[in-house]
Amino acid sequence: MASRDVVSYDTPLSRVLRILASLFLALYLVWTLLPFVVMFVSSFKDMLEAFKLPAVGDWAGITVFFEFTPTFKHYTSLFTENSFGTYILNSLIAAGGSALISVVFGSLAAYSLSRVDFKGKQDLFFWIISTRMAPVVAVMVPLYAIFRSLDLVGTLPGLILAYTTFNLPFAIWMLKGFFDNVPYAIEEAQMVDGATRFEAFRAILPLVAPGIGAFIVLCVLFAWNDFLFAAIIGSGGAKTLPVATRELVQPQNIQWGSIMAAGVVTTAPMMLLGLVIRKYLVAGLTMGAVKE
Amino acid sequence: MTDVSSLSGSTRDMGAQLFRARAHSVEVEARPRAEISHKPRNFNPPLPKHYYFYLMAPAIAILAFISLYPFFWLIIMSLQDVTIGGGEWVGLKNYTKLFTDARFLEGWVLLAKYSIMCLGLQVGLGVTLAVVVNSSRYEKYLVTALLMPMMMAPAVAGLLWLFLYNGTFGWYHWLLQSAGILDSASILAGSNTAMYAIVLVDVWQWTPLITIIALAGLKRVPRDQLEANMVDGASPLRNFFAIILPNLYPVLLIAVLLRFMDNFRFIDSLLVLTGGGPGSATKILPVYLFEVAFKFFKLGRGAAIALTLLLVTILLGKLLVRVFEKPQGGKG
Repeated sequence: MASRDVVSYDTPLSRVLRILASLFLALYLVWTLLPFVVMFVSSFKDMLEAFKLPAVGDWAGITVFFEFTPTFKHYTSLFTENSFGTYILNSLIAAGGSALISVVFGSLAAYSLSRVDFKGKQDLFFWIISTRMAPVVAVMVPLYAIFRSLDLVGTLPGLILAYTTFNLPFAIWMLKGFFDNVPYAIEEAQMVDGATRFEAFRAILPLVAPGIGAFIVLCVLFAWNDFLFAAIIGSGGAKTLPVATRELVQPQNIQWGSIMAAGVVTTAPMMLLGLVIRKYLVAGLTMGAVKE
Repeated sequence: MTDVSSLSGSTRDMGAQLFRARAHSVEVEARPRAEISHKPRNFNPPLPKHYYFYLMAPAIAILAFISLYPFFWLIIMSLQDVTIGGGEWVGLKNYTKLFTDARFLEGWVLLAKYSIMCLGLQVGLGVTLAVVVNSSRYEKYLVTALLMPMMMAPAVAGLLWLFLYNGTFGWYHWLLQSAGILDSASILAGSNTAMYAIVLVDVWQWTPLITIIALAGLKRVPRDQLEANMVDGASPLRNFFAIILPNLYPVLLIAVLLRFMDNFRFIDSLLVLTGGGPGSATKILPVYLFEVAFKFFKLGRGAAIALTLLLVTILLGKLLVRVFEKPQGGKG
């Protein structure tokens, strides 16, 4: 076993590298977080204040950014002049519905794929995962034609089905990894003790429940953030938050204050959810390739 | 056994004895193993296979309806001239037209250009960031902060950057102008700068993904190799290139493939920011497909383009799954 403390001498080179590293980190954090700050602060600014910029090259003028009287009018106008209440509900139903369908059916399929071996399993598995990898626009071309003939375009059920195209394969792929980690011996032990097959399955559920919960949240996240499906399949009757936010951009009149407020409304819940399932987030975003 | 015979008598005896002893011990070791290999009587056999298929059936049925069925539709549509009323068979016309479609070919070139720029920047920045974060005391908080951009809907990110890039009141435009990098021309109006602008948005949102993947890879770099190298007097830089980078390679491959496919998959922020413009400077293939299919509603032609796009994605996917299955890939 290697010792934990490596003896490293403080050479001039390593000192320079350390300073450079801190500088790089600081700059990167500013670059990553600044847009959030601008979005958040601008959502409380009146139109004219939001557009105030210092003269070019006037670095001291940056303080202009913080000179404003906070107003909530953009947030209230989202709900009074616009019907963001309905859009939030649409987003919730579409994302939640597809997440539930995906995880319920996905976990059944994942469980059986994990426990049984048959010819062609690898091919079936590849087909399942390739539907998750397909470009959204390419999937949407035939889906749009089919949904139009079934009158599903512009309805929430249509949108839920559309989101299931990428959430269900994702759930099967991720949850199979989960069930693979639960030894079959646990179920066997239960059955030796007299449990039926179904009771044995129920016995391992507590082991996978936190993961399943986390993947419901991840499915919600993907569907909530989607724009393309919602813009085409959901156009008309099932407007979700990203689409509604986009529609605030009108050729003659871009309502930046409202857009920033809508951005906060759309982003904040997902950030909170992301923090809640922080443990599973990395695995979920990399399709299970990387676990922390 | 010619060697043994050439040895002197006493050594040969010893050799033979040793050999016999070894053979004996092998026999002894082998016996219990052979007994264990008897399967214990199975009191409660696993479910008959068909029950598992019943469990799988609903998911497979849903997937068949929303992915297999549309796929066949896509093939049929690509052979038709699809209008609102229905389709008219046109054979391979949709495909042969693609070869003379300058926009289509340009779309592929732009997609490649866009992907290479995005990936180059993301991998460079992401790996550097991972190395820096890895040696930081505040790693946990830093990673949480870095995850934030990925939680934002890409369309909202596009709108936010539209605001930041704006020529009259955008803070990033002001920043770049003040730093002397740009003149007063609007960023999104110039065909070169527009490309860089959309690349930067992708870099902003997704570099952290590369960082967290690389960070997971860094944890697996064998410490003893690093120490041995340092004992031999290697500098930190040399350490990085000789040991850390080769060890990172497998996870980085996964990261790059994932991001590459996502560049095919998602065009949300691009659509919001430039919509493919100015002219067709940022009209990467998925955006062109979007325009053909959902702006001009030429669904037949769109289907042909979609199939070419799908084909490339499936090949990439095969590659990705193969990389996943390797043990260094970090699965399990």
